Amino acid sequence: MFTYILRRILSSIPVLIGILFATFALARLLPGDPCRAVLGERATDAICNEFLHRHGLDRPIPVQFTVYVNEIIHGDFGVSFRYSETVGQLLVERLPTTIELTFCALILSIIIGIPLGIISAVRHNSWVDVLTMTWANIGVSMPVFWLGLMLAFVFSILLKGTPLALPPSGRLTAGVLSPTFAQVWGLKVPAHGFLAAAVEFISRLNILNAILTGNWSLLGDALKHLMLPAMALGTIPMALIARMTRSSMLDVLDQDYIRTARAKGLRKTNVVLKHAFRNALLPLATVIGLELGGLLGGAILTETVFNLSGMGRTLYDAITARDYGIVQAFTVVIAIFFVVLNLIVDISYTYLDPRVQLK
Amino acid sequence: MTQTEAPIAKLDLEGISVMSVSLWQITWRRLFRRKSALVGMVILGFLIIIALTAQWLAPYDPYTPLIGIEPVTMREAPCIHLLGCPADQAQHLMGIDGNGRDEFSRLLYGARLSLMIGLSTVTFAIAIGTCLGAVAGYVGGWLDNVIMRVMDVLLAFPSLLLAIAIVTMLGPGLINALLAIGIVSIPSYARVVRSSVLTVRETDYVSASKAIGSNTLTILFRHILPNVLTPLIVQGTLGIATAILDAAALSFLGLGAQPPTPEWGSMLGAERNQVFTAPHLVFYPGLAIMLTVLSFNLLGDGLRDALDPRLAHASG
Amino acid sequence: MKRSMFLLISLVVVTSMILAACGPAATTVAPATAVPPTKVPPTAVPPTAVPFQPLSLAAPDCSYGGEFSKIEAVDQNTVKFTLCYPDPAFLSKIALASFGIQPAAWLQQTGGGGTGSELLTHPVGTGPYMLAQWQKGQEVDLTAFPDYWGTKALTKTVVFRWSAESAQRLQELQAGTVDAIDNVGPADFATVQADANLALLKREAMNIMYIGLNNTYPPFDKVEVRQAIAMGIDRQRIIDNFYPAGSTVADTFTPCTITNGCVGDKWYDFDPVAAKALLAQAGFPEGFTTEIAYRDVVRGYLPNVANVVQDIQAQLKANLNIDAKIVVMESGAFIDAANKGELKGLHLLGWTADYPDMTNFLDVFFGTGANKSFGNTWPDIIDALKQGAALADPAARAPFYVTANNLIKEHVPAIPVAHGGSAVAYKATVQGANVSALGDEVFAPVQIPGQDTFVWMQNAEPISLYGADESDGESLRPYIQITEGLYGFKTGTTEVIPVLATACTPNTALTEWTCALRQNVKFHDGTIMNANDVVETFIVQWDASNPLHTGNTGEFYYMSTLFAAFLNAP
Repeated sequence: MFTYILRRILSSIPVLIGILFATFALARLLPGDPCRAVLGERATDAICNEFLHRHGLDRPIPVQFTVYVNEIIHGDFGVSFRYSETVGQLLVERLPTTIELTFCALILSIIIGIPLGIISAVRHNSWVDVLTMTWANIGVSMPVFWLGLMLAFVFSILLKGTPLALPPSGRLTAGVLSPTFAQVWGLKVPAHGFLAAAVEFISRLNILNAILTGNWSLLGDALKHLMLPAMALGTIPMALIARMTRSSMLDVLDQDYIRTARAKGLRKTNVVLKHAFRNALLPLATVIGLELGGLLGGAILTETVFNLSGMGRTLYDAITARDYGIVQAFTVVIAIFFVVLNLIVDISYTYLDPRVQLK
Repeated sequence: MTQTEAPIAKLDLEGISVMSVSLWQITWRRLFRRKSALVGMVILGFLIIIALTAQWLAPYDPYTPLIGIEPVTMREAPCIHLLGCPADQAQHLMGIDGNGRDEFSRLLYGARLSLMIGLSTVTFAIAIGTCLGAVAGYVGGWLDNVIMRVMDVLLAFPSLLLAIAIVTMLGPGLINALLAIGIVSIPSYARVVRSSVLTVRETDYVSASKAIGSNTLTILFRHILPNVLTPLIVQGTLGIATAILDAAALSFLGLGAQPPTPEWGSMLGAERNQVFTAPHLVFYPGLAIMLTVLSFNLLGDGLRDALDPRLAHASG
Repeated sequence: MKRSMFLLISLVVVTSMILAACGPAATTVAPATAVPPTKVPPTAVPPTAVPFQPLSLAAPDCSYGGEFSKIEAVDQNTVKFTLCYPDPAFLSKIALASFGIQPAAWLQQTGGGGTGSELLTHPVGTGPYMLAQWQKGQEVDLTAFPDYWGTKALTKTVVFRWSAESAQRLQELQAGTVDAIDNVGPADFATVQADANLALLKREAMNIMYIGLNNTYPPFDKVEVRQAIAMGIDRQRIIDNFYPAGSTVADTFTPCTITNGCVGDKWYDFDPVAAKALLAQAGFPEGFTTEIAYRDVVRGYLPNVANVVQDIQAQLKANLNIDAKIVVMESGAFIDAANKGELKGLHLLGWTADYPDMTNFLDVFFGTGANKSFGNTWPDIIDALKQGAALADPAARAPFYVTANNLIKEHVPAIPVAHGGSAVAYKATVQGANVSALGDEVFAPVQIPGQDTFVWMQNAEPISLYGADESDGESLRPYIQITEGLYGFKTGTTEVIPVLATACTPNTALTEWTCALRQNVKFHDGTIMNANDVVETFIVQWDASNPLHTGNTGEFYYMSTLFAAFLNAP
């Protein structure tokens, strides 16, 4: 197991280097320079020369690349031109929003998708099955931004004033504050450094922070604001998971050993959940792993529609504004995240299916 | 028991007609039997008809604002005579858009664009992906490694993000958006082709072909690629669905089709700020996108089941 | 094992949801009155009995091209500005938000800005509000300053929030989660006016939206072509359909809200027949092909960019048979290309005044310092503007601006289209609600009976809170609650009144301005303001070689544009 992990990490290194190179090239290939993008109409040549020099952008490209790689290895993600903050600080501020959103969307899609898939498989070809599959097919075909806008319309306008009304934007209601758990518990946290960043990162996950501080009204508010974006983002994975569960369950339910189990006299739910579902999990794990890529793309659109300043939206704004620091660092973070995720999915195969030998 | 048995009558082959059924006919029959695939084909059929006959079906020109020609207000709600709109008011089945144009006509013309977008991106991606995958699979060795690593790097980024970056590099516009989506789609086809090539490469008839001295190209085209066709068709049909969604997303963000082109995604994106006051301008283009993508998805699923008997059970 | 994990997770989620539902609902009407942790700025070292050492900085001579010659603290309570040339608009300029006074000690302590500097997130001033905290991405919280020298703020806490979508802003206002919103969407004006719980306050337009033509590229080198296009576009139709109420068709380049703005002849009437004839006369009876470039950025002068550009394209085609291809460009690249005169076709742009004077309008586009966006400049217009700028008396300046406007109409370097109005919506219960043409809404006089928090929602998050290096309204609005300048604008108007100075008196030549400071004015950190703070605030912006001349991007827009140049610029 350990050697397998080691070997996989080693073989991902060329991919990671390729990613570093690709993100660097990507940022530099964007036409226009960050000075004019940031300062817009008021950029003069004098100001821009000074600007480029201050940020080391007038050095030759290979030098810039080595500096960039060096910084990444030391965990220094550079500086954002627009926000005049370190990119690391921006990551700490904005990543939690996206993580909360994608996590909730994924949980939602699993909680609803899997049971629906199982039920459709078990009641194969009944009206439940047909209805679920129709809805699943429609769900997979919907543009996520359209769904988000329609949901916002339905829940904020049509259902306004009813207990079902949901807010269409933001993470919290105006004026509702989320004091960090460190403050509430009276912990002494240094103002800078890794510990401070970690505390801030965790406390910006509003739901987690609310649970840690026992602030239930904050939890309710945060959940209410997260409902619509999570629903919008989670619908496509939900539909995919439902379909995938159903098809692999059908595959499995047809097997001989299931028939044997039933013949032995085991209860149907027992058979379905303990035997069939377990074996259906393997392809499901693959799908869930792959879905995270789509979720991040969808997160950009969802964050735009619901006015959340998370990583996806910040990255999109940064690309438009030629903010190299953010573009490079965020893309590298995302890419590394995927490589790691693939590794985890592969390793999880052994737990899900002991027959799978990791080579 | 008698010692000798009656001699077996000679089989008269003349009177028997053997019905030979080709693979395609089997496929069609299986396809038709699946109701969902049938629904998909019907929807697609409608779309194709709309795309081809838009200029006769559309009551107004999609580009000309009606300000000054008719008493319209911007973003007016739909007026359907059948549903009670007074007869003296001009009929606009889906209302008026933000520039005073008939939304329904623009929607019809948009079908043309969407189909074109789907087909062109997928054709581009398949063409390049097949070449790369075939070369990687057949030649193997370090070339295979390099090509697959490059594909891995491409796949490490979320596809929409990469498409946004490419379009920003090239400049906003429909052609650039199509190029971006095409590039982003290449890895999946390359992988599919490569795995098919790998499977087929070791078979007997390929070895035999090599033994009699066929050159690489002949082997590739005559023996290997035909086997790749099936997964490619399935992947391609589903890929058209994804391509249309991605193009709509890019246009929604303002990076794809530019005004005044009547592309569904950009029509949606232009009105997204008005969803609370003019929801019809957001609803209808989105619905159109959804139906189009649905039809390709259903068709793709049906093709997958029809073309690959091993998978027939899997989706029941 | 899988099942129990699954059950556990779902149990946790469901339990939290039940608890959340059963717990007291987060108030949606009045924002939670959780007191924001007040971050008191580090108290500056109390001044020991050190004799006052006046600061000053002088330019060696005026050849560096800027307006300031010397800025000096004459004594503890007097500051003197010496200028290189007379400036009748000096008080309007120093009243702008960027020149809010901060303590010299704080500027020095924070290094004048730079990445991560506290100056960018925590300004210290003399204003009625001080900064409590800035929750990045979420909100900015201000709290009333108890030792304010003037009328104390009526509301204890002011919260700034933001949303880029006007629909969402209106949503939150109607839901009651915010108390006022900026830039009501054009389509929503009627909704707000019809709602008895809301009040719509319109801002006077101090801007212009124009169609730019470059006279160095054919066919726009022919004046008949330019005049034909001027007559061939129905501008009233654009205003009626795509601009909010309160916007007006631009009869002259400058709006009437600026003195001497709309004197002279009014612009051409819409006459498609005459326009077509003129175009034919110029040699284009069948029209021609060209481009129309724009950037997809919303501004007060152009709230509905995409709609307007498409309508102009349709009108050009219908009225003049001109095929204009729409080209969208990235904002920075667009401005760059426009300023350098590289756009071959038409382009759509606009301008908002920084301060209410003709020199900030016509001179920018048609004066000596004008860029190349319209191609070759017109010496006769330059001449008229020069003469107008040299005088102080508005009545004396008028005839020159009449000439200038008439010449603009004759030459058609650009086509003025609209003066874009904008509006703010407040809850009807808000007392002391104000709007400003410059976007300088102040919240100290604002009060909602029964509430001690006022929530304002604007378009975007502040870029930084160091107003000296910012020029966008979103960053400057919090800044003007926190800091004050020597002069300021009377609430809701463009009239300048003394604030931190009791008076600034000029000499007859308008080149020396001596300002007597108000005494015993406290900063938020407890120190008393003196002349050195004023001087330091100005010189860190003016002197490019000063180590504190850092800020956020180092641009110091208002210093460099209003006072012409930095000292010791690299």
